[in-house]
Amino acid sequence: MSNIASSQTAKGGSVSILSVLKDFGNFRAVNDVSIEIRPNEFFTLLGPSGCGKTTLLRMLAGFEAPTDGKILLDGSDISMLPPNRRPINTVFQNYALFPHMTVAENIGFGLKMLGKSAAEISATVKEMLRLVRLEDAGNRSVTQLSGGQQQRIALARALAPKPKLLLLDEPLSALDLKLRKSMQIELKRLQQETEITFIFVTHDQEEALTMSDRIAVMNGGKVLQIGSAHDIYEHPADRFVAGFIGETNFLEGELTASAGGAGTVNLRCGVTVEALTAKSVASSGSVTIVVRPEQLEMVDPGSPQSVDATVEQIVYFGTDRHVHARLGDGTALTIRQQNRPGMREGLAEGQKIGVAIPPRVAQILKD
Amino acid sequence: MSELATLQDKEDTRRHRLLALPAILIMIALGLIPLMIVVVYSLMAPGEYGGVVPKFSLEAYVSLIFQRDMFDDTLTFSPAYLEIYLRTAIFGVVTTVLCVLVGFPTAYFMATRPADKRNIWVLLLTIPFWSNLLVRTIAVMFIIRDEGLINTILLDLGVIDHPITLLYTNFAILLGLVYSFLPFMVLPIYASLEKFDFRLAEAGFDLYANRFQVLTQIIIPLAKPGIVTGSILVFVPAFGAYVTPLLLGGGSHLMIGDLIALQFGSSRNWPLGSAFSIVLMVIVMLALLFQLRRSGQVKHG
Ligand SMILES: Nc1ncnc2c1ncn2[C@@H]1O[C@H](COP(=O)(O)OP(=O)(O)OP(=O)(O)O)[C@@H](O)[C@H]1O
Ligand SMILES: [Mg+2]
Repeated sequence: MSNIASSQTAKGGSVSILSVLKDFGNFRAVNDVSIEIRPNEFFTLLGPSGCGKTTLLRMLAGFEAPTDGKILLDGSDISMLPPNRRPINTVFQNYALFPHMTVAENIGFGLKMLGKSAAEISATVKEMLRLVRLEDAGNRSVTQLSGGQQQRIALARALAPKPKLLLLDEPLSALDLKLRKSMQIELKRLQQETEITFIFVTHDQEEALTMSDRIAVMNGGKVLQIGSAHDIYEHPADRFVAGFIGETNFLEGELTASAGGAGTVNLRCGVTVEALTAKSVASSGSVTIVVRPEQLEMVDPGSPQSVDATVEQIVYFGTDRHVHARLGDGTALTIRQQNRPGMREGLAEGQKIGVAIPPRVAQILKD
Repeated sequence: MSELATLQDKEDTRRHRLLALPAILIMIALGLIPLMIVVVYSLMAPGEYGGVVPKFSLEAYVSLIFQRDMFDDTLTFSPAYLEIYLRTAIFGVVTTVLCVLVGFPTAYFMATRPADKRNIWVLLLTIPFWSNLLVRTIAVMFIIRDEGLINTILLDLGVIDHPITLLYTNFAILLGLVYSFLPFMVLPIYASLEKFDFRLAEAGFDLYANRFQVLTQIIIPLAKPGIVTGSILVFVPAFGAYVTPLLLGGGSHLMIGDLIALQFGSSRNWPLGSAFSIVLMVIVMLALLFQLRRSGQVKHG
């Protein structure tokens, strides 16, 4: 459809990150990370601030050398190549546009450094400006652009040399919510049109879920789980992943029997539920189950298979509302209800309700 | 509405003018009045024992270019003074260029130190300024004279068997000028490099530029305001330098500053000295104008 996709001989590359370590003095910023990224994948590194996402990205770009481990691009080791010899481009968090150059000069910079002809550069610059929908901005100074426009130019500049891999370090974090939503869609479109492998860094879990083919959740320099948005949301590998992605309720209990990917858990709050198990969970013992707020059902107090709770707070979000309730044993629970006609009726803070956990939706975590 | 705005504007400008009054008075007292005196002096005849006699005369300007025959009053073209201007200009330009070549790497080194160490380097750079220019220039003399540090070491090492003449040469003057004015180049460049966002250099590397290209296409263009300011701060005083060429040039390699001093001193020709000064000033102003025009053009085009 776009001519980048058709004119490009080698599209997105595959990346193998093999047991990569990075130490800053005594501090281990990246701890034994191994990830296989497929060609033309939209891959996201997700994790809280300081978990090593930027450090990992900088090693891919070549600004930092791994203390140990290897990085392969399309099977060949690039760990020792300087950044200017890697077919990888970066969209920097602060955009890092060259303030003394026009928009067109910024976009053409990489091609100029690669020694392309003036005609080829100007053709590619035009193509890139069209791709990011800023056809008329070529002669403007980058300092006159709005944040969203600078973002697009940074993207165009990084895409112009047609790299095998594009690295994006929280590219949307400086934008306001609305612009951010539209840029998310734009980014996804660009990735599909250019067929370049994207590695996208964010600490915004919603952004990660909506955009990525696959996500690696990181914490403390380690990768905790790699999987699709669905995998990670529905089947979190551990407590951290479950808590970091979306809102979650944790309930303690005793696993009494397990078979065929499900187990029976006697919850400490008094009910017994059938919950899903991961393969690595022991067949009995004390466990934690996670239930998403939207999976919980609100019923009349005292209904069978439900636990009594007291409503503490009701938070209205427009499309839905969160009911914060507390169980008899002091455990806090959040229940999400979609906004339907009549939803507001008959619920007040301090009221007694019943909470039911439907079978086979809760997930048993491995400890 | 717009009338109100213009009224407000007028009010604002009036207040601004009032606030600027002290500065304007100082500039008139310390800048304009002395300048007018020099202009007036340059248009009068010299007094017998220095000073001027209040009589209009263009003689000073005429003698910049011509030599008047003592007996028949005919004028012959004499380039002696013009040559000194030219030599001074060359010294000024070469000094500025050398200061950029030495000053830029120095400033770059300072700006790339950890933030808490940079002030130490700035301090070290300014230490020579704690002593007087005369003292520093004499110190340079001691280092480069025939019996000085450099020649002694080279002789002792057996590299040479006769001292190399360094003092009282053009080289000595240049060395002295560069040494004296280098900090004026380093500090403005340092100031602009310190503000430089080194992530831009990373972006350059990321976009396939090598070190040299990052330097010439990204760092230097962005440090340009510092380089221009530094060049002005070095060129202007170097052009009018007086002590350095006098001491290190040994009086045989005069620069225009020395010539002016001479007219107000032993030659007792105040109008000629004033005329020299006016011409010097005009040259410097033209040079600055040229420089500003050029850097302005680069910015817009
Ligand atoms: N050059 C460095 N020297 C020392 N420590 C560093 C350096 N760079 C990063 N770190 C440390 O490594 C850890 C990981 O940093 P990194 O920038 O990779 O985090 P991040 O996941 O990108 O966080 P954020 O979301 O805040 O950008 C942090 O604790 C940081 O302080
Ligand atoms: Mg970061």
